[in-house]
Amino acid sequence: MEGEYPQSQEPQNVKCCDSRLDCSHIRTDNLIQDVPECTVQDLWLSKRDDLSTSATNGPSSGQEQDPPEMGKGPEQELSDTGSGVLPEGESIVCVAPVGDPEEAFKSKGADDEDQAENASDSASTDNTLEDSSEFMVTVLGRGKLEDEAPEAGPGSPMLAPSSSHRDEDITGESWRLHRKHVFVLSEAGKPIYSRYGNEEALSSTMGVMMALVSFVQSGNNTIRSIYSDEHTVVFMQQGPLVLVSVSSSRQSEQQLRGELLYVYYQIISMLTKASIARIFERKKNYDLRRLLAGSEKILDGLLNLVDSDPSFLLSAVHCLPLASSLRDSISQILQKAITPNLVFSILIAKNQLLTIVQEKTVIEDARLEPADLHLLLNLIGASSAFQAGEIWTPICLPLFNPDCYFYAYISYLDPPECTVCLLLLSTDKEAFYAVAECKRKIDEGMRAQNALRSIARTQSYSASQVGVSDLRHFMYKPFDVPDNHRQLTQFTSPEMEAPYSSEEERMRLLDLYRYMHSRIHSSSRPLKLIYHVAERETLLAWVTSKFELYTCFSPLVTKASAINAITKLLRWIKKEEERLFIRTPPKYSTTPNPSKSSRASKSGPDRQDNTDNGFLSLL
Amino acid sequence: MKVKYTIDRATSSPVRLKRRRSRSTMPDYAKMKKPDVKLVILGDMNVGKTSLLHRYMERKFKDTISTVGGAFFLKQWGRYNISIWDTAGREQFHGLGSMYCRGASAILLTYDVTSWQSLAELEDRFLSLTDTASDDCIFAVVGNKADLTDAMAVEQEGEQEESCPASVCPTPPASPSAHKQVHREDAMALYRRILRYKMLDERTSLPAESMCFETSAKTGYNVDQLFETLFDLVLPSIMKKRDDEKISTVDLEQSADVAKAKSHCCS
Ligand SMILES: Nc1nc2c(ncn2[C@@H]2O[C@H](COP(=O)(O)OP(=O)(O)OP(=O)(O)O)[C@@H](O)[C@H]2O)c(=O)[nH]1
Ligand SMILES: [Mg+2]
Repeated sequence: MEGEYPQSQEPQNVKCCDSRLDCSHIRTDNLIQDVPECTVQDLWLSKRDDLSTSATNGPSSGQEQDPPEMGKGPEQELSDTGSGVLPEGESIVCVAPVGDPEEAFKSKGADDEDQAENASDSASTDNTLEDSSEFMVTVLGRGKLEDEAPEAGPGSPMLAPSSSHRDEDITGESWRLHRKHVFVLSEAGKPIYSRYGNEEALSSTMGVMMALVSFVQSGNNTIRSIYSDEHTVVFMQQGPLVLVSVSSSRQSEQQLRGELLYVYYQIISMLTKASIARIFERKKNYDLRRLLAGSEKILDGLLNLVDSDPSFLLSAVHCLPLASSLRDSISQILQKAITPNLVFSILIAKNQLLTIVQEKTVIEDARLEPADLHLLLNLIGASSAFQAGEIWTPICLPLFNPDCYFYAYISYLDPPECTVCLLLLSTDKEAFYAVAECKRKIDEGMRAQNALRSIARTQSYSASQVGVSDLRHFMYKPFDVPDNHRQLTQFTSPEMEAPYSSEEERMRLLDLYRYMHSRIHSSSRPLKLIYHVAERETLLAWVTSKFELYTCFSPLVTKASAINAITKLLRWIKKEEERLFIRTPPKYSTTPNPSKSSRASKSGPDRQDNTDNGFLSLL
Repeated sequence: MKVKYTIDRATSSPVRLKRRRSRSTMPDYAKMKKPDVKLVILGDMNVGKTSLLHRYMERKFKDTISTVGGAFFLKQWGRYNISIWDTAGREQFHGLGSMYCRGASAILLTYDVTSWQSLAELEDRFLSLTDTASDDCIFAVVGNKADLTDAMAVEQEGEQEESCPASVCPTPPASPSAHKQVHREDAMALYRRILRYKMLDERTSLPAESMCFETSAKTGYNVDQLFETLFDLVLPSIMKKRDDEKISTVDLEQSADVAKAKSHCCS
């Protein structure tokens, strides 16, 4: 399952996205009018002080209005390209941006940049940069790589040579043809991670990237992205780490940025933000692979999930459909099996959330974000070796608190099938045996109720159950959950069935959804409703203050009947709500003295030092 | 194995019944009981700790993923529950090591026979983690991936092999063409240094010859011997613990077993 996608097979997509690329041209013009060369270069460079207002700024755009002049530019872009590319299929309702609370986490990244000083005159910088960016695109896009791959010597056991992608020849054609490359490097230009190929072999490529980033920085600018005909290169700096995505997937810059953020968060989840900061404070050119060695498969797995699981796109948790009475009784079992300092009890079945019980005082401080849960799920999924034993491992939930570790107990309740996974998170490093005892209780409770068999019997649903003839598939993410601030954002979606049963077709549908999503969430011109006639299906995306909905119909549907179908679908979801979503996540109280445990861990760097894994002493 | 059956025979019937029942109904679920003794596997990442345990528990060799944190397993051995911690070798999880080792009765220091570095890491990085282990903790030095270097690792045991003499501060062999970077003598020298680190008298401790293993998780070579030797060796520690708990029930036959276990393994 590679997410590989031969370009010849996505005619519709290429068209759509060409229009998007065109639009980038136009916006590039607007942004740096005084540097005409850059428009030819497809170089997209924005001054730092522009970021808070410019529409190109992915992360913070959710909260702000478009600058007035943007109204004109894109309008033309629409008439220019829209007519040619989307003959008559697409009708667009343009409205003011919808505040998307789920994108809120992305705004964090922009904070530092916002307080940057005013940019100095950048015209000369841009001129020179032109060369390097061209070089960059050449290096990444066409792969003129001169460096030979230094072998990992016998003295460096850090480089686990197992994964096949790690051994890939980076000068080969196939390496360049990967749909989406992701690189992580340190500010000093040291390679940390590459999705394909050995980081060592790629060190000079990464060096070029870093040179580019720091060159632009020296002019008080931030490089955000580079566009070429086939590739979008997105840069993101997070603390001492630089993340780069080189993609031919035709996704929006904003989406790629969101994906890089997940990669960053997964790294944080293993090391914590504070540790990474301290490591690089002490030693600027530290080789972070020393600490991340062995985690490549977790990052690989994350990127595969990002490509294949819409949860990441929607920033929402996929909930297992289950009769609410059964869900409640299982929740009660979890609620009863507690021990001091237990903060989350999570049950996963078939890779979907079955239930989550949370510690009262802990979630008063902060809510569990879908992204944190996604990282946890990826950790479980990336480790088939987990199945036999009981895992005890430190893990940081970066959105919950990027500087502190939780201790995760992970165990399957139904060996050897291993589809029902229990996840217990504690703040106490030493609590393994106490937490394992909770699992015993849960095991007993589940067996007494025969819950495992009931879970095994539940099935996801099919779009045909909605009873609307042309509806093939949908994704529905409600905003109107009660108690919104403590609630975990969820979405529901039927199985992908024929004609989307093959891996390839599934990916094609996801790409269409991604395209619709990028239009809905376009930072320059967000849309509320899109009706999009593609070659083999018709899609309708709709976002309101209460929900976000993506639907896929057979190509024969008419606009009127699609609208009609959506009304029926919404009615059906309302009726099934209890089964499709976790309405109010149950709670328990395990911390008799919350000011000491949960809160302290939230704001006490000293305590954090103690719970630190101790690897800093090794530096 | 011998020792196990001796004990079975020695135990009273109710215990035997209990053991049988738990085995037949739910082999992996019989975890209600508290583990009696703890065994910890340490060593650098990629040396094959997970693979070794997997080979022993599931009789299989399959692809693994680098362990995160530690994984806890329970093994029923006779009427005892032996807990086994498979730990992560990555530096990232270094700080957890001493927690996993707390009160351990046996520690397997594992290296990869094709990697000199992995042996050096045992002394540099892992030995200090054993400070929290039980006072009477026993140590084994395990060289895994023997199938890569020794033809006999596929089937029979090969004890003697020409190699550079063991020294206190050894250096890697000059020729890597042999693949084998660590010889058994080097491991035995390390074992002696461990004893010294623990301030144990070599003459009263288990000898290096019997505590240094070369194994292959891939072929299964020496894997059962490794674990079962250790299980048998930790039995006295279990009994001591039980005795401490209920001093009143000192069983003469158990003491006899201890003696047997000792003689069996030290010969
Ligand atoms: N040829 C050979 N390969 C082995 C043997 N044991 C393990 N391997 C391979 O070595 C690699 C690492 O094995 P693991 O068991 O995951 O290593 P580990 O010590 O548990 O590593 P960490 O969990 O990261 O600490 C895997 O690719 C195994 O297939 C062996 O006996 N012979
Ligand atoms: Mg392992």
